[in-house]
Amino acid sequence: MGNNHAHSHHETDVTPDISEGGKEHLAKSDALWRLLRPVRIKLLFCAILSALGAAAGFAPYIAVAEIARNMLGSQEVDGNTIWMWVIIGAIGACLRLLLVFASSRLGHYADAELLHDVRVRIVSKLGVLPLGWFRDSGSGAIKKRMTNDLEEMHQLIAHALGELVGAGVAMIVGFTYLLMIDWQMSLITMAVLLVMVVCYRIAMRSVTTHMSRLLAAEGRISAASVEYADGISVVKTFGTGGRIMQRFAAAVKEHTHAMLDWVTETKYSSAASRLFSSEMTVLGVVMIAGLALVAADKLTMANLLPFLIIGVGLPTSIMPAIQGGQGIRKGRVAASNIEELLNRTALMEPDQPKKPVGHKVELDQVSFSYDGVAQAVDEVSAVCNPGTVTALVGPSGAGKTTLASLLPRFYEVTGGSIRIGEVDVRDMSSDRLLSSMSLVFQDVVLLRDTVTENIRIGRPQASEEEVREAAKAAHIHHVIEALPEGYNTVLGSGSGGLSGGEKQRLTIARAILSKAPIVLLDEATASLDPDGETAVQAALAELSAGKTVIVIAHRLHTIRNADQILVLDQGKLAEKGTHNELLARKGLYSRMWAAQQKGESE
Amino acid sequence: MIRKLYRLWPDHGILLRLGALHAILAVLQGLLLGLLVPILRALLQIEPDFQAAAPWLIAGTIGLIAYWILTIIATPVGFSASMDLAAGLRHHLMNYVSTLPLGWFTDTNKARLARAVTADSGNVAHLAVVIGAPAIVSMLVPLTIIGVVWLIDWRVALVFLVIIPIALITLRRAGRIASESDIELEEAAAEIAGRAIELGQAQTVLRAAGQGRSGSARMREALDEHRASYRRGLRRSMIPDLTYTAVVLGGFVGILALTVQQLLSGSLTFTDTLVVLVLAVRFLEPLGNLIELIGALRAMENAVVRIQSILDTPTLPMAVNASNALNQASIEFEDVTFSYGGTPALRNVSFQCRPGSTTALVGPSGSGKTTVIRLIARFFDTDTGNVRVGGIDVRKLDPAVLLNDIAIVFQEVYLFDSTIEENLRLARPDASREQLERAACAARLDEVIERLPEGWNTRVGEGGSRLSGGERQRVSIARAFLKQSRIVLIDEAASALDPENERAVSEAIGRLARDRGRTVIVIAHRPATLAAADQVIALEAGKVAEAGRPMELRQTNGIFARLYSQYERARNWHIARHSDQNT
Ligand SMILES: Nc1ncnc2c1ncn2[C@@H]1O[C@H](COP(=O)(O)OP(=O)(O)OP(=O)(O)O)[C@@H](O)[C@H]1O
Ligand SMILES: Nc1ncnc2c1ncn2[C@@H]1O[C@H](COP(=O)(O)OP(=O)(O)OP(=O)(O)O)[C@@H](O)[C@H]1O
Ligand SMILES: [Mg+2]
Ligand SMILES: [Mg+2]
Repeated sequence: MGNNHAHSHHETDVTPDISEGGKEHLAKSDALWRLLRPVRIKLLFCAILSALGAAAGFAPYIAVAEIARNMLGSQEVDGNTIWMWVIIGAIGACLRLLLVFASSRLGHYADAELLHDVRVRIVSKLGVLPLGWFRDSGSGAIKKRMTNDLEEMHQLIAHALGELVGAGVAMIVGFTYLLMIDWQMSLITMAVLLVMVVCYRIAMRSVTTHMSRLLAAEGRISAASVEYADGISVVKTFGTGGRIMQRFAAAVKEHTHAMLDWVTETKYSSAASRLFSSEMTVLGVVMIAGLALVAADKLTMANLLPFLIIGVGLPTSIMPAIQGGQGIRKGRVAASNIEELLNRTALMEPDQPKKPVGHKVELDQVSFSYDGVAQAVDEVSAVCNPGTVTALVGPSGAGKTTLASLLPRFYEVTGGSIRIGEVDVRDMSSDRLLSSMSLVFQDVVLLRDTVTENIRIGRPQASEEEVREAAKAAHIHHVIEALPEGYNTVLGSGSGGLSGGEKQRLTIARAILSKAPIVLLDEATASLDPDGETAVQAALAELSAGKTVIVIAHRLHTIRNADQILVLDQGKLAEKGTHNELLARKGLYSRMWAAQQKGESE
Repeated sequence: MIRKLYRLWPDHGILLRLGALHAILAVLQGLLLGLLVPILRALLQIEPDFQAAAPWLIAGTIGLIAYWILTIIATPVGFSASMDLAAGLRHHLMNYVSTLPLGWFTDTNKARLARAVTADSGNVAHLAVVIGAPAIVSMLVPLTIIGVVWLIDWRVALVFLVIIPIALITLRRAGRIASESDIELEEAAAEIAGRAIELGQAQTVLRAAGQGRSGSARMREALDEHRASYRRGLRRSMIPDLTYTAVVLGGFVGILALTVQQLLSGSLTFTDTLVVLVLAVRFLEPLGNLIELIGALRAMENAVVRIQSILDTPTLPMAVNASNALNQASIEFEDVTFSYGGTPALRNVSFQCRPGSTTALVGPSGSGKTTVIRLIARFFDTDTGNVRVGGIDVRKLDPAVLLNDIAIVFQEVYLFDSTIEENLRLARPDASREQLERAACAARLDEVIERLPEGWNTRVGEGGSRLSGGERQRVSIARAFLKQSRIVLIDEAASALDPENERAVSEAIGRLARDRGRTVIVIAHRPATLAAADQVIALEAGKVAEAGRPMELRQTNGIFARLYSQYERARNWHIARHSDQNT
């Protein structure tokens, strides 16, 4: 078991940004192939239908060409042969449209399927990543992976594949037919297309670099706008000089520059590829070369016609594939971003989870560092028994919240171990671990959901009645009742706002409802008025009966009667004892106590 | 559609030029194809007549060169138009929302904004150029071809002509359905985007609830809904798309049959038959493409509508000749009633803060303290009654002037994801090193900066998540101190601070308040802070319950006196009470 533990920490500090991740993975396009696994069959059929459609699509052209040859070849117009070609052409045209239609449908259904599948996978992956990843990447990045990146893949799945295969088949069928008529003209036509492809390749030579740069800039635009809106009250109060907007402006500028650089760099080659891909160009070249050959008696007019008809149609069938190629490239960058996320090392789950006995919490020389340099928690040892209250106090920034977030394994300890009921938290299944705790965090986080669901998330199977009881205990019931739609008000949309203290009480209701045997309260009543604090703490006292309680508090009077008080300072356990013992020691605790008493009675 | 885009586009000239360019290209393309008629007529004989074809061939060559030149010109014009549009739209959107009332920034609207600024702006700009041009071509080439065919045989041209309106009618229907499906799908996608952000921000809560792996129920619903509406859209568009395809096909078969019939009956020469058939193929190809384009066009139109709907949100009304100077820093509420939508958060609130005075706002949680602060900064407008700052109604003040004189410490601290120094400098971009140090010292931030390895350059993470609760709060306090404005509003400055830091910060606030030119409003629960105030205003359920000097109010039996004694009692409370009894 022991060797499992060392892994996950360094994951948190490597955050390859989008561009690097993209480039590095681009070489192996199998990222894409793996992502596509659930829809491979659909895509296969999509490609087959598209190929058939492309082949059928030549029938009308060939029909027209054959009719022409037929008429030019013999002065005698043969009605039957002509009608036969008319029918072949008509059937071919119908088949083509139907097959292409079916192929595109299939591609889109595959797309719908894949989007769902990949999103579900991303969500479940995020649920097991070390929390450090979230801090480093920000929620804008998650949004981007789940929406923009996936939408980039749309082009690839729903369109590009079918078009690519279709174009390939069109080329083969078209040229086979043309070759049967005249090899010289075929070569000339092919040469035009070849030049076009070469120009296009040149135009797209540095696409990956540019694309990555563009995507990175898009990510920055997204992050800046999200942040701007989230911090709008700060923006309004302090940002009158537009300083915050600058970051957004810089991102937009970078995006424009990236685009501009790309366009400037490929100005000529892309213009050239545009020219050669135009059907007018093919028409012109075929005309000139063809007429020269006709004039030189190397070609008959009858045989020139198919080149006019089919040759001219070729760019139209190839162009989507070439542009589709760009779609594929974009899709691949996006796919590798997604794959990179899906491949991140998750928190280790034990192979054979152990079951804790009781709910004693033991901290054994626990150390943790966010950055690998400074120790946020430094060799802290303590035992918290069921039925007792352990208070964590200490100056702001001492590491209290950090220590508390090691218990539910939001972060992995970098030294020592934490045991619950004699079992290392790393040997417990994360479901069991988390369901054994009620957590109230310093940062209040509410979901954009109804009030009921926000409370119920503490224990999903709880009844409406229990939810109400918990709300009453947290002294928030009357506030909820006064909301426009009571318990069904959706928070965070329109009128579903709450005051700071109300939000805090809502999270307390959550914890009260969960009834877990270990209770972790981080500044649970910090923004309540004395009135509210008294009432809520009475409820919390009820909640904590018989449980292992760990409270973090700055208002020392609230923890005066705790069974043990752990005083943290700069990550280290500075003092440990009961209120009276600590006062007698005349150390940090007694100094804090004095400061508080003085502040209150002045 | 074009009108909507036109309204959004910052530079109309470029749009017009681009449209004209592509229209010319399309007509030219049609005419070049038309040149095939005289050329083939001359050449499709047993003995090709090069003499007769020569002028047409020359015309064709010139046309082709013109076509090339125009194509080369059009490309960069399109690109720069696209870039300008994207950047312009993005700036316009952000600048616009900065003038919206705070109440607009709900989670839903924030998600809308994020989407509009990133994907929508990008797509509109991209599509306007990438899809707009082919759309013009797909419309104009067939029309030009009809003109050419008309010259050869009006009956066949008539068939061509008949196809167009029928095609357009079916196309419209397909377009409408595509548009509806796109709106549905887009809503589902926006919901996912919002939930994805929530997923990041609420990850700890979800994990604690055992929903880490599955995501919240709402997230799962959003994902299912997206797939369902995607499939629904595909199902619904099936018939209209097929109908359109059938119309185009029918047209092709009709033309083929009619032409051949004309040929066999001898009313069309076989040269002309061939030309007509070649043109027919060229005619239907772009028409067939339209069905692909219409979906994209409608999607673009919807994106335009979404962007426009944000730009149509009413801003806070601005006075015509707003005052642009504050003479003094008094604050006055006169009979103010305000509601966020439900029951009023403030009812008939009246009070006054003299310039230079310190006012303590107290009251139970939810009584409306934070709301008072928001109204002073005009994050919202009152329903009835007036808020006056410096004797002037805030609605008659230039918002920039008002906010220039106000510093706020928010109850819910928000920091931007940059360095500590940057976060402070927001308040005062030109602050000197010494001013920064002084503000940091007063807010006890100096201790944090010293402790952190990167000091002032420490990155604080999204919303400040890489700092501890108390560290974050101190950055926010220092930020307000640095601004040195005449009005300082402090909402629960010390809730996350330990006793020593709290005391130091309280003292700093006290010093700030003693400055005679500065009007301060503090929301706090600590007796020491309350006692030092010039006046106390006690709110209860949105009403002013009592107001007066703290010493006087303590003597009464009012709410302030009760709060004060509650506070004393709270000190005697302890979480361990029950467990003590149990053991
Ligand atoms: N996500 C993070 N990344 C890097 N450093 C962090 C992160 N979170 C906290 N820190 C740092 O770790 C130290 C301990 O932070 P912690 O949040 O545990 O303090 P705390 O004791 O809870 O303080 P407070 O009472 O202010 O909430 C602080 O110096 C803080 O800056
Ligand atoms: N954004 C909002 N949308 C809708 N209602 C809100 C919003 N903010 C606050 N409210 C409601 O307005 C009332 C007053 O809220 P306010 O935030 O002013 O209270 P407060 O006195 O600051 O409370 P606390 O001490 O808990 O911060 C409360 O009933 C609250 O539910
Ligand atoms: Mg903390
Ligand atoms: Mg408040």
